[in-house]
Amino acid sequence: MTIRIVKPGLQTTVQAGPRTGQRHLGVPASGAADPLSLALANRLVGNTLLAPALETTLTGVSVRFERNCFAAVTGAKARVWLNGERVKRHRTLAVAAGDELEIGPAKAGARNYLAFAGGVDVAEVLGSASTYLPAGFGGFQGRAVRAGDVLSVAPVHDAPEMLTTPRDFRPLAGTSWALRACYGAEVDCLDKDSRFDLFDTNFSVGNRADRMGLQLEGARFDVKSRGRLASAPVFPGTIQCPEDGRPFLLSIDAQTIGGYPRVAQVARADRHLIGQLRPGDHVRLLWRDTESAREELLAKHDYWREWLPGIRTII
Amino acid sequence: MPSSDESASLTPAVFHCGDDLVAAECTDTRSAQALADHLRESGEWLECVAGIASCVARFDLAATSPAEAEERMLSELRTVPAAREAGTDIVEVPVCYEGDHGPDLDDVCELLGIDRETFIERHTGETYTVDMLGFTPGFAFIGGFDAAQDVPRRPEPRVRLQPGSIGIAGGRTGIYTLPGPGGWQIVGRTPMRLFDAGAEQPFRLRAGMLVRFVAIGEKAFAAECAE
Repeated sequence: MTIRIVKPGLQTTVQAGPRTGQRHLGVPASGAADPLSLALANRLVGNTLLAPALETTLTGVSVRFERNCFAAVTGAKARVWLNGERVKRHRTLAVAAGDELEIGPAKAGARNYLAFAGGVDVAEVLGSASTYLPAGFGGFQGRAVRAGDVLSVAPVHDAPEMLTTPRDFRPLAGTSWALRACYGAEVDCLDKDSRFDLFDTNFSVGNRADRMGLQLEGARFDVKSRGRLASAPVFPGTIQCPEDGRPFLLSIDAQTIGGYPRVAQVARADRHLIGQLRPGDHVRLLWRDTESAREELLAKHDYWREWLPGIRTII
Repeated sequence: MPSSDESASLTPAVFHCGDDLVAAECTDTRSAQALADHLRESGEWLECVAGIASCVARFDLAATSPAEAEERMLSELRTVPAAREAGTDIVEVPVCYEGDHGPDLDDVCELLGIDRETFIERHTGETYTVDMLGFTPGFAFIGGFDAAQDVPRRPEPRVRLQPGSIGIAGGRTGIYTLPGPGGWQIVGRTPMRLFDAGAEQPFRLRAGMLVRFVAIGEKAFAAECAE
């Protein structure tokens, strides 16, 4: 079974789960920037939650099916058409050979996930099928898809159940986001006022916003590192603050080591939201101590378990 | 955390740097590497990454509380073995310091009060140890360039560097393996491929290896790139 890319959109890549346990070799996580939405899409087509799917960026994508198949779309707020007819997101869609499915531009949020029953069939590189664009490996030939590309979908024996995601389990993409966060290792590089402002600023996401990270604008902080800080490990969700005083929020493709002060770390429970931030969105950081961040993660898992029993492996 | 307990001065400081990240301060890079290797062998952590003077471990916050992780890190610190000795094989890394390959070389020379020839002589005159891989796949942090101890990072990172770019910061040399952003002062470029995801052994360098830089001209650089 294959699908053909008709319109590739700005940056559509094959993404699955992250690469883990290799950051000491410099290998970043990669994988779906919003793994919760990937899991929701896979759930609707009967796949394992982190099966490889297409991740769109801002503009959408359109694909043609060469055989009958089941598909689902979740993620950013966007319109979806099947052969020109509007269809709903968060539903199992039965598509026939020759059908064309189009996801329109994201109206809120940044990324959609288009999953196919069976999952996109690509080889694993360094332990994951996910595309890591900066090094050009993983996913479909290590790159974003182009018009005319033909992707294989792994075969399935049984048709999936036709499902609709219950309303309570459809994340809403808006333009304002709150991210719970703990202090980072070098929060001391900020003076007392700056530390307060870090959690009291309405940031907006700058134009530099991609899978590696996002510029946060709206405040400039006084940083006392003198550019000589020892390089130290960073992770998706780390907020670094270089000497120019503008915080930078690392995302799923983040490098493994950084030399700028780590002033905060977005809590695990909210890291999946980073994948939906787009330039111009508003962001506030909510301070948490590490133990309450854990309580809130467990509460979030409890909430999602009803629809996604494997939620602990997703967020 | 400050402590009145005298034994605390023998144990590196352990601290949280996120809800699921616990870190230990280390005296140097080799002891940070030794700790990271030790933690990884225990199989109890999701990621164990050494920095220049610290080691950060990520744990499964759903299974382990931050307090338990801190406790575990403290107990691992009591059993960590001494850092390994460096090997004896030396990898020669060709570097072109000429033309556009080293956009920050003049600034670095001015900062150090030396000319380009002296800089190249010093940079190629030592044998260095790979402290760690990190940043991006295969990026090598190479320690021991003491002459450049006072060279800071650029105040604003460059958005896109060429793969093979050789950077200097804080007495270290770094080799960028991929195109992408970077904040080190770029003094040259190597045609050597340090990372290949498709290869059986994707990483040319590993922590602990010895390295020497060998100056090459622009023609030799172009010829090696073409190979």
